[in-house]
Formats: sequence, C-alpha cells, structure tokens
Amino acid sequence: MASEQASSRHDNALLKGAPWWERNLAWLLVAPTIVMFILFAAIPAITTFTYAFSRVKMARGGVQTNWIGFENFIRAFQDPLVVQSAWTTIKWMVVVTTVEIGLGLALALLMTGGIRGRGAITSLLIIPIILPPVAVSIAWLFMYDYEFGIFNYLLNEVGFPSVRWLSDPNSALYAMMVVDVWQATPFAFLLLYAALLSLPRDPYEAAAIDGAGRWHVFRTVTLPLLQPVLLVVILLRLIDAARIFDKIFIMTRGGPGSSAYTMTLTIYIEGFTKFDFGYASALSLLFQFSLIAAATFYVRRVLSDYAAPAE
Amino acid sequence: MVGDTAWQKVGRYALVAFVAMLILLPVYWMVNMSFKDKAEFVARPPTIVVQNPTTENYFDLLVTQRFYKYGINSLIVALIAASLSVAVGTLAAYALSRYRLPRNFNYHLLFTMLTIRMFPPIVTIIPIFVIFNQSLFGFKLLDTHIGLGLVEAFMELPFVIWMMIGFFRDIPRDMEEAGLMDGDSRFGVLRKIAIPLAAPGLAATFILVFIASWNEFLLALILTQTKAQTLPIAVAGQITQYDIKYGNMMAAGVITTIPVLVLALLAQRHLTRGLSAGGVTG
Repeated sequence: MASEQASSRHDNALLKGAPWWERNLAWLLVAPTIVMFILFAAIPAITTFTYAFSRVKMARGGVQTNWIGFENFIRAFQDPLVVQSAWTTIKWMVVVTTVEIGLGLALALLMTGGIRGRGAITSLLIIPIILPPVAVSIAWLFMYDYEFGIFNYLLNEVGFPSVRWLSDPNSALYAMMVVDVWQATPFAFLLLYAALLSLPRDPYEAAAIDGAGRWHVFRTVTLPLLQPVLLVVILLRLIDAARIFDKIFIMTRGGPGSSAYTMTLTIYIEGFTKFDFGYASALSLLFQFSLIAAATFYVRRVLSDYAAPAE
Repeated sequence: MVGDTAWQKVGRYALVAFVAMLILLPVYWMVNMSFKDKAEFVARPPTIVVQNPTTENYFDLLVTQRFYKYGINSLIVALIAASLSVAVGTLAAYALSRYRLPRNFNYHLLFTMLTIRMFPPIVTIIPIFVIFNQSLFGFKLLDTHIGLGLVEAFMELPFVIWMMIGFFRDIPRDMEEAGLMDGDSRFGVLRKIAIPLAAPGLAATFILVFIASWNEFLLALILTQTKAQTLPIAVAGQITQYDIKYGNMMAAGVITTIPVLVLALLAQRHLTRGLSAGGVTG
C-alpha cells in the first residue's frame, strides 16, 4: 500500500507547469524501444508475410515481388527436405532438452547433498554456457576427428575400430547433440540448483519423521515443489533448442549431405545460398507459427510477476 | 543428507570430480593442442601435456592470416550492440518500473518484447537483409559494423529490459521521492539518482550483452561479408571438409574464448541472474 501511494506521487509530483517533455517522460523513455521494435520487428515481420506469398527476385536496388498466393506453402508441405528438417528439429529439441534437464537435475540433487567447494564447482560449471559456440564446436570437431581425434584414439586403445563420428549420417546428429548437452547441461543445473536450495525445509523434516525413503521423498516432496521452476527451465531449453544453427553449421554444414538439416538451417540454405527469399519466408512463417503456442505459454507464465509496476 | 555413510560421501565427491573433469576436458584439450607444433599435433599417443610448446599457431593465425582484423570487427560490433541496447533498454526499463502508462501499455510492451525474444532470429532476417542491401542515403548497411550492431542490439533489447527492471526494482524508491521533493525534475532524478544506483547492474548487463554479441553467429553470418566479418564467422570459414588447419583452429578457439572468460569473471556476481534471464545462451 505504501509503495502505491509513493508510486502515484512519483507519477504526479510537481507536474503543473512542467515542460512537455517532463510531463511525457514515460513515453519519451519507451520511445526508442518502440522505434527499434517497428524497424527491426514489425516492418520485417510484415515484409516476411508478403514475401511468403510472392516470388521474390533480387533486382537492382532491392527486390522484385510477384504475388503467387499459397504456392510457396504448398511447395513447403511437399518438400521432403522440409519435412525431414522439421523432424530433425523436433528430435533435437526433445532429446537435447530431456538429457540436459535430466543430467542437470541429477547433478543439482547430488550437490544439495552437502558438498564442500560448491562455489568453485558452480563457477566452473558456468564456463561452458558462456563459451562462444564457434570455440566449442572447434574443440569438439577435433576430438571427433577420424584420424587424430582423441575419441577414436581411446577406442582403438581398448580394441574397437575408429568411428566416423561426424561423417556418418547415423551418428552425426547425435554426436552434435552431445556437444549441445555438454554446453547447456550446466545451464539447467544452475537454475535447478538455485531452486533446490530455496525450497522450504519443513516438508523434508516431516517426511523424515514419517521415515520415507529417498526416492519417495523425491517424488512426493521435491518434484512437486520444484515443478514451477522445472517447467520454466524446460521451456527455456526447448526455445533455445528450436533455433539450433551454429554448432551444426560449423561442425558439418548440416551434413553429411543434408542429414542434419534443422529448420533454421533449411531456411538459411533456401534464403541465403539459393536466395529464394519467397520460399524461405514461407518456411520461416510456418516455423514461427508452430513455435508461437509454446512461446505464448512461456511468456504468460513468467510475465505474471512483471506485468505492471509493483503494487 | 543425514545418514550418509562414508562410502556414499566418497562416491558423491568422486562423481562431482568426474563431472568437473568432463566440463574442463574439451577446453583443456583445445588449449593444449593450440600450443603444439605440427609433428606433435598428430603424434600417437597424443601428449597429454604439450611437450614443445610453440606459439606458431597463434602467430600464423593472427599475423600471417591477419585474423586480428576480425577480432577488431567483433569488438566494434559488440561495443555498438552493448552500448545501444543498454542505453535504449535501460530507459524503457526505468519507465516500466516507475510509471504506469495508459491502457495497460506497460504489460503490452513487455509482453511484446519478451515474445520477440522467443522467436528465432531467422524469421525476421530476410527482410532486414533486403533492406540493408539497399542504398539508404547513399549508404548500405550490409557488411557494416553499425548494421550488424543495430540488429544485435535489438535482439538483446528484451534481455536488457528484463534485467534492468529487476535492478531498478531492487533500488528503494525513497531516494528518488526525496529528489522529487527537493525540486529535481523527473528526468533529473533518473539521471542523478536512479542510474548511479543501478550502475553495477548496468555494467553487468553491458558485459552480458557484449558476450552475447561476441558469440553471436547466425546474424553475423548473414549480415557481414568481408569488411565487417566477425571472428566466429572468419573462424568457421576456415573449416572445410578436406583441409583443416587444426592447429590454427585451436588457436582461434582460444583467442575467441579469452575475452569472454575475462568479462565473465568481471560480471561473475550477476552471471547467474543474467543466465536465468535467458541472456548469452544459444
């Protein structure tokens, strides 16, 4: 209550006779954001929409567009590469998110069990998250190398033949998933660990008095308490996983062949190596709309805290 | 937990140590390999610790292949992106956390900006490419630092707003109220009281946006060609299926990583908060 009074005072204090920019300060402060939004989101989004229904040709001083209706969309649904890359994207999202959340949660539970040097380990775990994807990709690219890589060396040492990690379509995608898991599991860990540490102690004491086993405590106490955070972390990872591009592009250019094309890669190839802007726009619209449901759910959930100034 | 046996404790420490090793191994291996000469690079068994350390990979990459200029490009782009998005985002965040705009505009603006964050950048990049490829006032934005910096600044804007709203909320309002009572203008209060108080958060946000821009790949790949090409793109361009100069690549990986690690160390206190706000990743 006190802060609400303060807030209205803040809003209206001494504004009589103040210059216009003082009275409209709030609008002036958000104006640059609105301008950037119009320039870099609204106008491009509308343009993408018109491109999607057009045949777009590069021309002097810009592009030439001819309206062709739904042709690009019909083509998209019949394009085996699009269907395949949609599946690859879904596979990537599901596998990578599941493994990262699973490992991150396991590690977080392990650490809450009371370990010395937590701070050092947490700092260490932040490193992979912030590393440039290009550096991560290079490091792993060389470890996966058929001739000189450490993985094949170790395999040979224990008597197995070398594996074509990145040049076999059956293993390339999974090999790259491992890289993503390596980089993003610490992210899941950090958020879940912080959440675990802030859980109330009482339910655990009650469970201990009841003599409940560990698995039982985890399922009936920890998991329900952790659920809100868990859902948010899962969605954050899904959203990030959906846009995967850099690692796959750097390590195999989506290969071998087109076996590891994800949606972003396919759109990139159609748009910026074949310069078929119309088709690429249609694909990106389809991609965007299939992500909207998840995005809205996520934003509404997290936003409820921040929707208006604190009451 | 209570009731752990000594063995369980040992097992737990062993597991944590193992995880720490898994995390460090690829990084260590990259650094290790980057100092090896050509003979040692392909040696079997591989040397766990480099035997004849050499800086020839670094020299070859930076001086002979002139990669320093891509580093400078990355630096300029990241500085533009971080300055612009922090400036624009901080003002908006202040307005959103202190004022109530009519028609529930606070909610709509924040909702819209955060929704943008959820969309893959590939979705809006085609029109941006087309516009940048046109001559505006006799000036093309494609393949310029400012062009890429602008787009990356916008992409990080939701993150900046989100972070700065959090920092402004942590500042007690009393001091700003006192300023208003003393006859300061509302903008004066923002400039002389709120911004200085939020300075640590401002610096941390700046660093996180800088890192995100430094790491960014897709936009830089599309919006730069030769003049403004950033380090990650130049490095990735060296990877061809048949003839990879691995030694140089390892050095390139280390060089790309160092600024990020140094900056992360500076912003360490705010890193977890930044990461959970969805900065830096992907």
